[in-house]
Amino acid sequence: MNLFNVGRVCLKIAGRDAGRTCVIIEELDNSYVTIDGDVRRKKTNTKHLEPLAQSLDIKKGASHEDVKKAFEHLGWKTWEHQKKESAERLKKVRKMKEKKAEPKTKKALKENKASTETKAPKAEDKKAGKTAKQ
Amino acid sequence: MPAGKHKSRTLRRVFVRTPGSNTVMHYRRRKPSKAECAHCKQELAGVPQVLSHKLRNMPKSSRRPERPYGGYLCSKCTRALMKEKARNLGGAEQ
Repeated sequence: MNLFNVGRVCLKIAGRDAGRTCVIIEELDNSYVTIDGDVRRKKTNTKHLEPLAQSLDIKKGASHEDVKKAFEHLGWKTWEHQKKESAERLKKVRKMKEKKAEPKTKKALKENKASTETKAPKAEDKKAGKTAKQ
Repeated sequence: MPAGKHKSRTLRRVFVRTPGSNTVMHYRRRKPSKAECAHCKQELAGVPQVLSHKLRNMPKSSRRPERPYGGYLCSKCTRALMKEKARNLGGAEQ
């Protein structure tokens, strides 16, 4: 009797996804099936699967979303592809460059100079005032 | 005569040829023992037999198999464990 029919819930025994639950989506061969669920959607040998008692109402060749719905109904997780972080790091470098470029404009430099000139004499005045009071 | 600390065979001896074409004896640390399965004591595949400081600089994926219990149990024992787990699960969910 073949237990590995479409909709059968299995536990992955071997490989990276070992110990995770999955559903058989398609029977490819006498020994090969495609699986989906809490694992990466892929072709596997049935030697790498251990059938469980449960089976789900799933059509042959069902999409990942259908499997996700069926799994969520039972309160199980599904495996989702996670994006890599390396792309985000590049963006941060670009932002830093833009910030440095801003104060180098002529207007900004002039304003900076003006602000320093106006502030400096005030400080001197205060000192002078203090000495006068004493 | 070798120094007192080099008389014991804790360090292995390596003959190194110097640029001046002399052969010199160097003392180096021995390799650590091979990693073995915690259950069946079989030698583990995919775990390099190098000193810990070299292992530290390696990427994590080349230190042990990318599998649950990788680098601790052999593949056969992991499968047996997972099967046992599956059979317990199946009984509970029926």
